Amino acid sequence: MSKAVEIVEKKPIPSEATMLIGLPDVGLVGLIATSYLITELKLEEIAYMDSDLLPPVVVLHKGLPHAPLRIYGNQNLIAVISELAVPVPAIYSVMREIVDWGEAKKVKRIVSMGGIPVESRQTITEPQVFGAASNQELLDMLNKKGLKILNEGYIVGPQALSMRYSSSKKVPAMAILAQSFYNYPDPEAAAMVLKEFSNIFEIKVDVSKLREKGEEIRLKARDIMKRTQQEMKRMKKSQEYDLPLYV
Amino acid sequence: MSEKQRKHSIFDKMNGYVEEFENLVDELMASAFSEGPSWNTETCCLQALSNVFMTSREVVVTADMPNIETETVKVEAVDENTVEITAKMRKKVRFADLGIYHRQGEFSSLRCQGRIHVAFDAEKMKIAYKGGIVEVRFSRKKK
Repeated sequence: MSKAVEIVEKKPIPSEATMLIGLPDVGLVGLIATSYLITELKLEEIAYMDSDLLPPVVVLHKGLPHAPLRIYGNQNLIAVISELAVPVPAIYSVMREIVDWGEAKKVKRIVSMGGIPVESRQTITEPQVFGAASNQELLDMLNKKGLKILNEGYIVGPQALSMRYSSSKKVPAMAILAQSFYNYPDPEAAAMVLKEFSNIFEIKVDVSKLREKGEEIRLKARDIMKRTQQEMKRMKKSQEYDLPLYV
Repeated sequence: MSEKQRKHSIFDKMNGYVEEFENLVDELMASAFSEGPSWNTETCCLQALSNVFMTSREVVVTADMPNIETETVKVEAVDENTVEITAKMRKKVRFADLGIYHRQGEFSSLRCQGRIHVAFDAEKMKIAYKGGIVEVRFSRKKK
């Protein structure tokens, strides 16, 4: 393997698609939202990621082995998920390869879904959703769609790198982030993010089943949340609570 | 010893300290995040995720406990540094309910332990349950 991370294509990859990234992060919001979307829209597995930087793991589904980092898609959407907490030493190479590959496939834009940790999350019934974007045009578009803009703050982790690499490659990128628990799986925040995604891109997504399965998801997601928390600690994710200084 | 050799030995020593420190951090991380399973078929318990944080007056322990009977929440001080929260689930969960068919077992309760590194009053606590999260507040003991 010549590159640190390689994307192995299994099926033809559409061009001009919107690429979604849902890697394990705060409250697993992006992962829950993206994998729910994959199931709801019946997206097909079109590629997977291979790297010596990742632990030697395969995930069995219906008895068959799958790479933990996989890419699904249809004609309009490409969705990247990971069933593995991506180790911090691998995260730069993984994100760089995702953005490079997206650019090569001429994606229209890259959208990261995720959470913003809030300490009093349990007192919030309906988490608010915020947007960030790599250019002013996209920010205006998010604004027009009624999304609140994340004006000041830090983003740490996969979304930060997705923004950074996309910006340098001039690939339009945005993040849709809901208030969420820091280290508890948060299906409700994922539902709120999906509602905004549906509103922005005019793709119908019914989140009622996600809400119904909320308790089950919280029980099932404990292990990956625990491992993700270890990686978040290593990448100093708690910096998202900090106030930036720019006078 | 020449100047060059001395510099080498200082850097070697520093590298040694850094390595030692890294090993210590790894050990601490390993103890904070145990590698065991998040379930126990003998006690029919699933391990709940939990958090401990401190304010100047209180120690707050939270636990993610969906699907529980709220009246069964029990909070006990296991020792002066450890608090245990348990609760019965409304409905038993089997491995099969979680999509796992190669293991046998069912779970009727959730359990977690929180490590507290300051003195606190285990006799006085306030318990709240909202959105599937158990929150327990203890007063910190004055020195």
